[in-house]
Amino acid sequence: MLHDLLFRLQTLFRRPTAESELDDELRFHLERQIAKYVRSGMSEQEATRRARLEFGGIDQVKDECRDARGISFVETLLQDARYAARTLLRSPAFTACAVLTLALGIGANTAIFSVVNSVLLNPLPYPDPRALLAARPNDSRPDLKDIQHQTRSFASSGGVNVEPMDFTGNGEPMRVHAAYVDAGLLQTLGVQPMLGRWISDDEDVKGGPRNVVVSYPFWRDVLGSDMHVLGKVIRLSGNSYTVIGVMPSDFSLPKELADVFVSMWVAYPGEAPDRDVHSMHTYWRLKPGVTLAQAQAEIAQVDRRLSEQFPDTEKGRETLLIPLHDWLVGNVRPALLILFGAVGLVLLIACANFAMLLMARAVARQRELMIRASLGARNSRLIRQRLTESTLLALVGGAVGLLVAKLGTMFLLALKPAALHRFHAIPIDARVFTFVFAISLLTGLLFGLLPAWSASRGDIAEALRENQRTTSIEVSRSLLRSVLITAEVALALLLLAGAGLLIKDFLRLRSVNPGFNPANVMTMYLQLPATRYSQFQLQTNFRRELLARINALPGVEAAMITDIPLSGNFVDHRVVIDGRPTPAVGTEPEVQVLSVMGDYFRVMQIPIRAGRDFLPTDREGQPLVAVVNEAFVRQHLPGQNPIGSRLDWIRTPEPHQWMTIVGVAADVKYSGLNQPVDPAVYSPFSQNDEAWRRWMTLVIKTRAPIAGLVEDVKKQVWNMDSQIPVSGIQSMDDLMAVSVAQQRFNMLLLGIFAALAVALAGVGIYGMMAYRVNQRTHEIGVYIALGAQHRDVLRLVMKDGAKLALLGIAFGLAGAIALTRVMVSLLFEVKPTDPPTLIGVALLLAAVALLACYIPARRALSIHPMTALRCE
Amino acid sequence: MPSRSIDLPQGTLDLLILRTLSLEPLHGWAVSERIQQISSDVLRVQQGSLYPALHRLERRGWIKARWGTSENNRKAKFYELTKSGRRQLEIERDAWEKLTAAVSQILETA
Repeated sequence: MLHDLLFRLQTLFRRPTAESELDDELRFHLERQIAKYVRSGMSEQEATRRARLEFGGIDQVKDECRDARGISFVETLLQDARYAARTLLRSPAFTACAVLTLALGIGANTAIFSVVNSVLLNPLPYPDPRALLAARPNDSRPDLKDIQHQTRSFASSGGVNVEPMDFTGNGEPMRVHAAYVDAGLLQTLGVQPMLGRWISDDEDVKGGPRNVVVSYPFWRDVLGSDMHVLGKVIRLSGNSYTVIGVMPSDFSLPKELADVFVSMWVAYPGEAPDRDVHSMHTYWRLKPGVTLAQAQAEIAQVDRRLSEQFPDTEKGRETLLIPLHDWLVGNVRPALLILFGAVGLVLLIACANFAMLLMARAVARQRELMIRASLGARNSRLIRQRLTESTLLALVGGAVGLLVAKLGTMFLLALKPAALHRFHAIPIDARVFTFVFAISLLTGLLFGLLPAWSASRGDIAEALRENQRTTSIEVSRSLLRSVLITAEVALALLLLAGAGLLIKDFLRLRSVNPGFNPANVMTMYLQLPATRYSQFQLQTNFRRELLARINALPGVEAAMITDIPLSGNFVDHRVVIDGRPTPAVGTEPEVQVLSVMGDYFRVMQIPIRAGRDFLPTDREGQPLVAVVNEAFVRQHLPGQNPIGSRLDWIRTPEPHQWMTIVGVAADVKYSGLNQPVDPAVYSPFSQNDEAWRRWMTLVIKTRAPIAGLVEDVKKQVWNMDSQIPVSGIQSMDDLMAVSVAQQRFNMLLLGIFAALAVALAGVGIYGMMAYRVNQRTHEIGVYIALGAQHRDVLRLVMKDGAKLALLGIAFGLAGAIALTRVMVSLLFEVKPTDPPTLIGVALLLAAVALLACYIPARRALSIHPMTALRCE
Repeated sequence: MPSRSIDLPQGTLDLLILRTLSLEPLHGWAVSERIQQISSDVLRVQQGSLYPALHRLERRGWIKARWGTSENNRKAKFYELTKSGRRQLEIERDAWEKLTAAVSQILETA
């Protein structure tokens, strides 16, 4: 057995030698035999003839010797591959077409697969990620602590809330993302710092030491990769923190971006003990052997206990545990899977074209193949050779596809969809390679087998006759081709329908009135440090002075608000309305709370529907006023004149400080263009009595974009206080674009896939028609010779293609009606069976198909009867 | 083709080759000549099957090949029996003798 293996390997590697040795050996035999016959008195010529005749087919003997040596499989494979490479290089146009078709199909698939791989398949970068859970909704630190103490299901748990902090003392003040954490967080995620240590339990208490752990990028970019950073002091929001640790380079929180990590108790002692502030994302690690259901049951008990114990704030608690991976990818999974499905259809179409290309090639080489068959090549051998050829093509297509995929993923990342915000690069890893290799191989074998098989059956004699128009092979081939074309058109229609729906939906979304005018509005975010602006009046003075300075810049109109629309942030408060029975505790209506200063409504061009705008006289010491939006009036003051009504936040202790509603502003889409408008209450910053609301967003309108505006504003800020970072610098237009980025991503991708599909299907139809015209030259020639009009010829030629295209469109429409239902989750307003869209895409595809038929048909018109007849 | 010669029965070619080579190393042509000679031209080796058989035996490790100089001073491939080839020859020879004995017994008594 071992001998056998070694022998096979040896022959394989000594292949050229073995081959020439075989030649020598057989030639020697022949020479001796000839010599023998010559000696017995034959002429040289006669002897040679006789010896050859006795020996039989030399090639056949050689083949059998090779078989006997056991080199056949790998050997033939190499031989076939070489042969295939040679013949493919001899027809570069065919090869380029086939490779390009497959490269597009495989490349697009690989690009999407590498995204799916990165986002959905790759495990979370934490040890034993299956035991990790997230919880909905957010929770407060005291609640988290209570649950930690009252449950046994969890090995550990922790929470994090990311807030901005100011980093100063290193050039321009910088706004950093600070993770307010509890000590259990890191143990839960199962990660260790790269340098130093994490915040310990006894430091995570009221009045604990001001320690900070920094992220790797922060350590590298801001602290200059200082290896001796431990023990050094950095300034964050006006306080000194000692660096005690640096996180590893590949670490990130599951969902949040964070530059520095500080104990919530230490950095935000005002909020940490407040049971009411449900601001923490919480993460949980199950003890080994505990199931999700058990943990959920246990946490439900604690929820019940807490809601009885603290009815004011914790009533109706319902904590839902979710596997962390689901929580992270739950939103993007449907979109990604739909895109993956769509791109799979593109590959199928590419494969159909590939198969048709191979078939056309088989016809062109029919005589060659038949001659080889008649010379004794076995049928299985011929099929195998052609499979080798198609597989070789597919593998080259796959290799080029990998390049396409690399470009594709770069393009995908550049679109910045929400699903990919955590990724700087999408790696092409071993799994992606395996994927490409597998689909290339499968494509080559499967779609090579179809035409190879249909060509292999056939009568040699029949094929050797020049006239091959009506052979039985041709009938079965033409059937196969028809099926392929119909399928292509149907698939293309399916994709086109999906893309059409998304495009229509996206246009709808873009045409939604956001309620404000984003043109030429620049926004910037500032937060006043608590250390120097803890007092409310200091904040007001700063805001008023800053606004005055910015408004003094030429051509500028500025105002400020706590949180701008579409930024993803706003504060919610519960309100009570004067003169209404007070609802039960915890059921008061919730509204968005927005503080403004300056002519906010005018800068944003939000119309005032009733009453009046804020006036400069609405300031501290004056009667409290508020402007509400239309949604507020609709929901809370229906059928009443809102002007003059009074409202207040729920507050303890009473008495209320009623704000009088002086105006109604038009609705603004705050949470997203595809989201409903929530009730909102605007009030002047200067009448705000919540000193913790120290942040503000400047909205600055200019008649035209002004170069250097941002620098001028920064200068004004830093002239007043050099320690305040200016961040979140973006135009309102950009913010609008970002808010629809995911929809744009879906639409663009599906659009590209659909365009690719239509192009491929068009090429497929064109190829088939061109082939048919070529084949029917004689018939058409006769037809023309008999006096057929142009119209008749066109009809004759186009009939076939048009029939198949229509059939495909019909199938595609049926498929679209059945399948686009899965797209509901991606659509905002448009129904998945929107008739105008379906009709539109059907017409579009029909037009493309007709064009693809028409071009070859035009060529049929120019056939000269005499040439046609002569080519017989 | 002389009419009195017969083609080899299936499966006997290996045995004949091994037996022929057990006397001395030979090249392919000599093997076929020797078989023909010794059988007084009764057995004829189909040359088309001789070489595949030689290569098959080589792969099994029963014979090994080396290049040498033929009696007419030409480079030729000589095959010789290996140790395991010799064992194989005994096995096949036994089997053959049993077979022929059994066949003749049937022919004589039945």
